[in-house]
This record gives sequence, structure tokens and C-alpha cells, in this order.
Amino acid sequence: MTSLDYDRAAALTDRLQSRLVDGIAGDEGVTRRAVLGGLGVAGGAALAGLGSAEDSPGVSGGHGDSTHGDFGTKGEYADLDFDPHGFLTTFNTGRDGQENVPQDVYRETVDGVERTVREFTLTAVDTTVAIAPGIEFPAWSYNGQVPGPTLRAVEGDLIRVEFENLGRHAHTIHPHLRNLAPRMDGIPQNGPGVLDTGESFTYEWIAQPAGVHLYHCHSLPLKEHIHRGLYGAMVVDPDPERVRERPEDYCGFHASQVTPELRAELVARAESRNHGSDANDDVQELVIVMNSFDTDFDGGNEVYAANTRAFAYGVGETNGKGEWEPGETVRPIQVDGGRPVRVYLVNATEFDLINSFHTHSQFFDYYDHGTTLLPTSKNVDTVMQCQAQRGVIELDYSTHDPGLYMFHAHQSEFAELGWMSFFEVV
Amino acid sequence: MSERNSYDGTNRAETTSTDGGTERDEPAASDGGAVVARERPLGLPRWVAAVLPVILLVVVLAAFFLANPFAALESGGEPLPDVTVSYASLPNDETIVLHVTNNGPSEVTVSQVLVGEAYWDFSVEGSGGDATLAPLETARIVIPYHWQPGWDVETALILSDGATVHHTIVAPQVSPGLSGSVLLTLAVVGVFVGVIPVVLGMLWFPFLQSMSDRALHAVLAFSAGILVFLAIDAGIEAVELTESIPGAFDGLILVVLGVVGSLLLVQSISAWRRGRAEAGDSRASSGLWVAYLVAVGIGLHNLAEGLAIGSSFALGRVSLGAFLVLGFMLHNVTEGPAVVAPVARGSRPALGHFVALGAIAGAPVILGGWIGSLAFSPTLGALFLAIGVGAILQVVFELRGLVGRQGRVGTALNLVTFLVGVVVMYVTDLFVAV
Repeated sequence: MTSLDYDRAAALTDRLQSRLVDGIAGDEGVTRRAVLGGLGVAGGAALAGLGSAEDSPGVSGGHGDSTHGDFGTKGEYADLDFDPHGFLTTFNTGRDGQENVPQDVYRETVDGVERTVREFTLTAVDTTVAIAPGIEFPAWSYNGQVPGPTLRAVEGDLIRVEFENLGRHAHTIHPHLRNLAPRMDGIPQNGPGVLDTGESFTYEWIAQPAGVHLYHCHSLPLKEHIHRGLYGAMVVDPDPERVRERPEDYCGFHASQVTPELRAELVARAESRNHGSDANDDVQELVIVMNSFDTDFDGGNEVYAANTRAFAYGVGETNGKGEWEPGETVRPIQVDGGRPVRVYLVNATEFDLINSFHTHSQFFDYYDHGTTLLPTSKNVDTVMQCQAQRGVIELDYSTHDPGLYMFHAHQSEFAELGWMSFFEVV
Repeated sequence: MSERNSYDGTNRAETTSTDGGTERDEPAASDGGAVVARERPLGLPRWVAAVLPVILLVVVLAAFFLANPFAALESGGEPLPDVTVSYASLPNDETIVLHVTNNGPSEVTVSQVLVGEAYWDFSVEGSGGDATLAPLETARIVIPYHWQPGWDVETALILSDGATVHHTIVAPQVSPGLSGSVLLTLAVVGVFVGVIPVVLGMLWFPFLQSMSDRALHAVLAFSAGILVFLAIDAGIEAVELTESIPGAFDGLILVVLGVVGSLLLVQSISAWRRGRAEAGDSRASSGLWVAYLVAVGIGLHNLAEGLAIGSSFALGRVSLGAFLVLGFMLHNVTEGPAVVAPVARGSRPALGHFVALGAIAGAPVILGGWIGSLAFSPTLGALFLAIGVGAILQVVFELRGLVGRQGRVGTALNLVTFLVGVVVMYVTDLFVAV
């Protein structure tokens, strides 16, 4: 025992200790204290005479394969009526969009101003939506989908919505726009008020300001009408001509401060945002509405999601060891690393005060409400939004290696209840 | 038929006017008719009359299902799903197994599982390969989850309609599961907490024999106190267990049924024995019968005790320390004299009877331990406890009769020793809270 190296003895004792404690974990007959008590002796003895303990395989932490790396909903979605992958890139502009959203675009003089009119037919219907594999949620919806169809117009256009309520409750459409006509506000106290079953009304709103906006039902009880699914995104593209004329409206500078370079920059950014311009074609634009569902009436959500379906942009199958397979309905969002990515992010989460968007291995520029053409937060990897808050996120994966990049709510609870997604950069 | 009767009647009316003899025939004929009616109701054979209501019931039920006359009452509402997590077992620290029963009238599908408010992988076993449970069907939900000993795990099942079923596993510990060594361990435990103390208690027999009647009655009252305590204790436990019994089994009614049923069963055995004794069977009249009844009652109680130990063991919820075994021994040693006191008068029964009495009273702990660890369910546990209560109550009546035949039951000494019996059991029970 004279050659005993105390440091080595201590280290070996530690290893033996953890191995033994692991070994007896759950053995009711032996207390942890009793095991630990006998170990100092064992460590010394092992060093002095039984050197073989050093050669044995390393102590296993006891962590299994799938018990730590494989959370998420089980199974695939059987209901194929709604395609969350298609929803990401579907914009209804009046010219083109979804088949189930009757729409048109034409010029018309409204109140002495000739405008582009983008006309959509929205219908409130009761339906069920799949919010997790095997779980159906009885939803109230615009045109049978949650979130409702994404409407897209250009700043200054007239958005005309022929709304008919075929649901069993009274509904409205309230736009988060700078709307100058109280009767078009879509609330019970103005205009037609709530529309009972079978009633219809034509809402007309000027598309302003540029940005990403929300529309939703404003019937009471509000919590119920929103969380049951009556909401959707509206994208108002900036008009490059207007930006050239009034650049100070799109940045934090006074008109006297706007240099020709800044003006040109703002116009270029407006063109990138405007779906009618060629510069927009290069951008991969995605709509993500953060939402949630309370399935058991306790005022807390069982499912959080990006676009309604828990983990719809997850990986499908994984062994928790870095290998994965895309599923049929559950798979990452593929993006081309060579082109910019723009996310129109809207928060329609009910019951919780805030939701958030966090990217792994990536920092982005964020334009709160999308109403400015210079970022309101530069170089961040997490933004939070209260309900109805929204914004534009611009991501650049051009220097990233191809592969999976996670993004999710950084409320861990929301992430583990469904709002956890991946970009697959290719 | 009635026409023929009336024809007969008119015919007879004609004859009566001419012949007095036929007049005497009249009541005889109607008497005869009454006899026929008893043997052939409506002119049908007896077996038809017995089966007829059943056949009609089947016909009515068939008509009911075919015609659906209650269609107007259907509002389109569906019965609410009702799923119970009876208990959770933890075979290792990477796995959680939830044992679930569908109590509702319609089938339910477990679509997703949450662990700690996170969606988690799971598989459903024992429900025919799918995640759908028919009414009263049970299944195991196996979740690969690395839980930590002592840290509560909150689980929730989400059914296809979004309804949630929550179950919190408090201070999780690995369940030892099932193996030969576990069964052996439980048998050893059973011998120590069941058989040995009862047998030791029975060794008081020679001392009991030497007692005066007065003292022996006090001992019997003491035994009754022990039994009453056991009945109350087991009754409360059974009622507590009903809370985790799936609703469809109507736990409280089940407990009442167990108590009343076993009481009646043991009482009928006892009545049969009395009948034999009155018929001159000397063996049936001895105190030995009472001793056996006491042993059966205590045995049933110990079976329930074994169930509790076994299930706690299976759920990883027991630390069978020396102190607990000591407590059980103290607790059960008092059951020994209770068994043998009824035979303290008269000739000493053969030694074999003592062995049998000890085995009947004590060995069920082993059996109960095995059952509890193999297939514990709150339903089974409550039922066994209730059966024990009924049996014990009957035995208490029996003891009362035994004392009453030879002296007065309500003496001061008897009442005090009865109380002492209750108190002793209460105190020793404090040591054995499993």
C-alpha cells in the first residue's frame, strides 16, 4: 500500500462508485449510502492488488438510444386535406392561389382613386383539423383550413373579401390593417356586426401599411373564436414607387437624412419584397403562423405548432444518434442554401402570453410587423412575439454546410408540444 | 275453448235439473280444472312456462335493436371517453409502463402520449396490436423514457378527440418485475411475516388450556378485538382502493358485495356445521370448527396483507427493512392465540390440526404476495380485502357465540380485553405501514 497514488485511487473510486451505483439503481435492498460506504475500501484494494479494474470498459452513463433523443409525436398524419408544406409557400394574390379560395384581380376606381382590387371569397365553416397524428380538433375555419388562406396584396391595393358565414356560430373578419372605415373593422360594434349563420358581407380594406399582418374573427368570446382557428396571414408588399417617393416611411430616418444610396437600397429591398417584381423570384418565401390548440378545455394548450400540425416540419424518423429519415407527412422544410429565405411569421397563439422563434446555428434580421425595410433587430437568433404580433425574418444559409438546421419556439414546453421544426439546407 | 265450456255449461245446466248426482260432480270437475291449470299454465308444458319470459325478452331486445325506437332521443352527442391509468410500473430506468383500462361505453384510441408535457414515443401492448381499446379492455402503454429515481414523472394520454388522461408517477423507483428470485423472496417474506408469527402465537395454547373460564373468555374477547380492528382496517383500505378502481367496475359496490358475500358464505358454512352438530356429528360440534373459521378469516386477511406487500414490491414501493418485518411479526403474533383459543377447552385436537390452522391463517401471505406481484390490480386488491372483512365479521359473531354459550359476554373484563385487542393492533399496525 506504500505506492498508493491517492489521486489515482480517488479517480478510480469515483468510477467504481458511479458504476456500482448505476448497477444497483433501483435495487431496493441496498441503500446508496451503504454502497458508497464500502467503496473507498474497494477503490484502494483495486489499486493495490486488482489492477484489472482499470482495463475494463468505460463506465456507461446508462443513457439509452431513444430515451433521450426521440421526443415528438408518434406516427404520420392520415388527414391529407391540409398540406402544411404547401401552405408555407401558398399566397393568394387574386391572380393565383388556392383552388378553394375563389379570387380575382382587376382595376377599379374607388372613392375617386383608381386601385388594383384583389377580391377573395372567404367562407367560415366548421370542420375538424388534424393537429397531431391521430388527434382531431373541432375547428372553426376560413375556407376549411387552419390557418386561413394567406392573402397577398401590394400596398395601396383594395382588398375586397366576400365573406359568408356557414358556421354554426356568428363570425366576422377583423383585419390588422390601417383601415380608415369603421364599418369595415369586422367587430360586433361596427358595420354589419357579427354575421350569423348564412349571412354574408363584403369587407373592403386598403392594403396598408406594407408588412405582414393578421386577420381574425372578432366575435365573442374572443379567446374561443381565435383559438378554434379563425385567423390567417395577410402579406402587404411594399410598392417600390411609393418607397422611392416616401423612403422615410420605411426606415427610421427623417426625410432630410435619406441619402440617395439609402433611397436606392430601400427601393431594392421593396422590390425584393414585392411579389410582382423579378427580384422577388429569387427569395424563398415561407408563411409560418404560430398557433396552439387546447383539446381538453383547461385553458392550456396540448399542441403548439408552426402552421397547426405538431412537428409537421420535424424529421420523421430518427434514432437519436444523428441519423434520420423524412416521413411522408412529417419532414423538414427543404431550402436552397444558395438563395435567401424570408419567413413571414405571425403569432396566433392563444392562452400563452408570448411565443418565439429561434434558429439553430443561424442569426437573422428581423423586421417587426414587416412595416419597415430596415431591420428592427439585426443579427439575432431569437425573437419573441405577443399574440397578433408578426414580423419578417430574413435568413441566409449561403455559407452553411448542407444539412439539418433546427428552428423552434424557445419556450421548451412549446417546442416539446409540437412547435419544433427543421430547415434542411440543400 | 270458451265456447266448448259454455256449451258444456248449458249442457250441464240441463242435466242438473234432472239429476242431483251431477250437481255434486260440479265442484269436483272445477277442482280438477284447477289442478290442470297449476300443471299446465295456459295449457303449456312446465318447461315452456319457465323459458317463455326469457324468449320474450330476447324477442323484445331484438325488436329494440332493429327498430331503434329511441332514435328521437339521440342528440348526436357521444358518450364521454373514460380511461383510467390503474398504475404504472417501471421495469427499468429507461421504460415507463402505464396500465390503462377503458371504462367508457365506446372504444377509445390513444393517439399520443405526453411525458412531462412533451410528446413522446410509445407503443401500446395487449390491445390486439392497435392503440384502440374496446370497452373494458385493458392495455399497457410502453414509453421509452429515461426517468430519474425519486423525480416525479407526469404523464398524459391524448385520445383521438383530444381528451387527456393524466397520471403522475410519484417518486419513481424501479419495479423489481417478475423472476424466480422475486417469487422466492416473497415466499420468504411471507413465511416471516405470516407463518412464523402465527405459529409462535399458537404456542400459547398450553397456557390457554391452563386458564380459568373467565380468563379464557377474556382472551377470546381479546381475539375478537384483534379481528374487529382487522375488519375496520381492511374495510377502510378497501374503500380507499376503490378510488383507483376503473369506474366501470363500480368499486364501492364491489367492496360491499365482497363483504356481504363472504359474510353470508362463511355464515352458511357455519350453519351447515351446526346442522351437522345437531344431527349428532361430534366433530362438528367442537370448538375446532370455530378455530378453523377463525383461521380462515385471518387467512383471508393475511391474503390481503400479502397482496399489499406483493404489489408494493412489484411497484418498487416497499423497503422491506428489518423494522417492517419486526412490525409484521408483532402484528401477526397476536393472531396465533386468536386461532387456538376456541379449542382451549375439551380434549386437545391432534397436532395435525394445529399445523393446518397455522397454514390456513399464515400461509396466505405468501400466496397474496405472489398474486400481488404478478397481477396486481386495485380491483383485485379491494375485492380480497372486502372478502376478508366479511369473513372476519362472521368469525367475530362466532366467537361471541362461543363465549355466550359458557358465560356472559359483556363482562367488564371481556370488554376491556376486547379494547386491549383493538389498541394492540392499532399500535403494532403503526409499524407496518406498507
